[in-house]
Amino acid sequence: MRKVAIVGIGHTVFGNLSEFDLVDVMSFASANALEDADILKDRKIIDQLFVANMGGGIINHQTGIASALVSRMDMEPAMAELVENGPASGASAVKCGYAAIASGLVDTVMVTGGELMRTVTGWKGTDFVATLLHPEVEYNYGLTLPAFAGIFTRMYMERYGLTERDLALAAVKSHENGARNPYAHVQIPVTVEAIHDGENAAVINNYVAEPVRLYGTCPVSDGAASLILCAMDSPKMKYFTKKEPILIAGVGSATDTHCVHHRKDPLDLKAVRLGAERAYKMAGLKPQDMSFAELHDAFVILELAISEEVGFFEKGKAQEAVREGVTRIDGRLPINTSGGLKAKGHPVGATGVSQVYELVKQLRGEAEEGRQVKNPRHGLAVNFGGFGNNVAATICSKEA
Amino acid sequence: MLDFSVYGQKEPEVYAYKCPQCGTLDYPAPMICKKCSTRRDPSGVIFSAWEQVPLGGKCKLLGWTRVYALPEGFDVKYLLFAVVEFENGLRASGRLLVDDPQTGMELTAKVGVVKEKVGEDVYGFMFDAA
Repeated sequence: MRKVAIVGIGHTVFGNLSEFDLVDVMSFASANALEDADILKDRKIIDQLFVANMGGGIINHQTGIASALVSRMDMEPAMAELVENGPASGASAVKCGYAAIASGLVDTVMVTGGELMRTVTGWKGTDFVATLLHPEVEYNYGLTLPAFAGIFTRMYMERYGLTERDLALAAVKSHENGARNPYAHVQIPVTVEAIHDGENAAVINNYVAEPVRLYGTCPVSDGAASLILCAMDSPKMKYFTKKEPILIAGVGSATDTHCVHHRKDPLDLKAVRLGAERAYKMAGLKPQDMSFAELHDAFVILELAISEEVGFFEKGKAQEAVREGVTRIDGRLPINTSGGLKAKGHPVGATGVSQVYELVKQLRGEAEEGRQVKNPRHGLAVNFGGFGNNVAATICSKEA
Repeated sequence: MLDFSVYGQKEPEVYAYKCPQCGTLDYPAPMICKKCSTRRDPSGVIFSAWEQVPLGGKCKLLGWTRVYALPEGFDVKYLLFAVVEFENGLRASGRLLVDDPQTGMELTAKVGVVKEKVGEDVYGFMFDAA
């Protein structure tokens, strides 16, 4: 297979962008990526676009978003398709982009993910994301993603001795990183005093789905992120001279049962483990080779559980790593250097692309002061869809 | 007292589906039997639609949560949800009616209105103390 490099990256701020139009937000991130790749004027060299979005048809009443984006960007006649894979749409689009180039179908790809969720009320937003659950035996009950996170967290606490304070510590860690990321939705750091230890903590950090509290969840955000991919052996690489190309070393994804109740052990996130294993195998790398990681912490518990499934820590031991500061920016294995979904925000279609954006930024050494990992070689991103029923992993590496 | 049974009115129930070949039960309805790969035809025209077996009775609480952030259409302060295991080994998610639950406790599954839509009541599992 051909080697595929990421040669341009773009991002919008994550937050409340509801005064703008979905395709405008996605186009802005795309234009940032074209500019970063130094091909704004030569943008027609892009052969194919993969566009990641989950809810345009439901919450923005717009479909055919890939075609709309191409046109807004004046990039016709490039090929364009939409990738909808729930909250894992972003990494799935990256995977499609990788596959299209590696197979020889095309030389250059733009991957853009975006979502505009704040145009509807919180009630409607929660309902929209819950439509990915089983319509009859889950969704109808009023079950939501926070509800499954609550059930998962309690089971984890009862089996492994995780405490609410551990979750608060992980949240504080991610917010520290997010406070240094100019694109993050929440750029205000929080203290463990405010959200756990202090006397007002229970009010500030109230329950959302017991035992998950507000600071155990991510904000609902708008935003977009974009990447430019090119085959390393393509003559088109001559356009991309300004920035260091970062290799996509491995991609992998896997699925698990649609209904959570069908899983023998609901704490076993099989799709995370298999998706990551497939990416490691393709990259010829091991968990120990990763310098840092972006893990899908839509709920803080998921950062811990995913970090175990991808082989960073033993099962049930992630909270010890959190307590010891291993996952902080200055720790042995920084996790969610961007602030993660927790602080950076979670525009569902954008998230997977944004995670890979962060891998590239770190590997180039371009992250802001105070959140740059020292001499990173390889980074892992895990984008988690459903309650773990479709998970996509991406490994990026500096060129040897 | 009115006796609605004369109109063929049935108590609402939730069903598991039984493979006609090997007898394996599944919930919700699968398209292919997990054990012997026998197909199910929802229309019952080409293959069997499979026998519907009422699912309910005694079950064990595997995991639960109390949710305060409910989606559109649920106008209450909070609801409890649970994943349970029935005596036949099948599992299900549903509403939990016990306000102070303990993981592992015995429950009974009833069927009730879990969601009120305009002109339509949606029935589903309500798990209550045994």
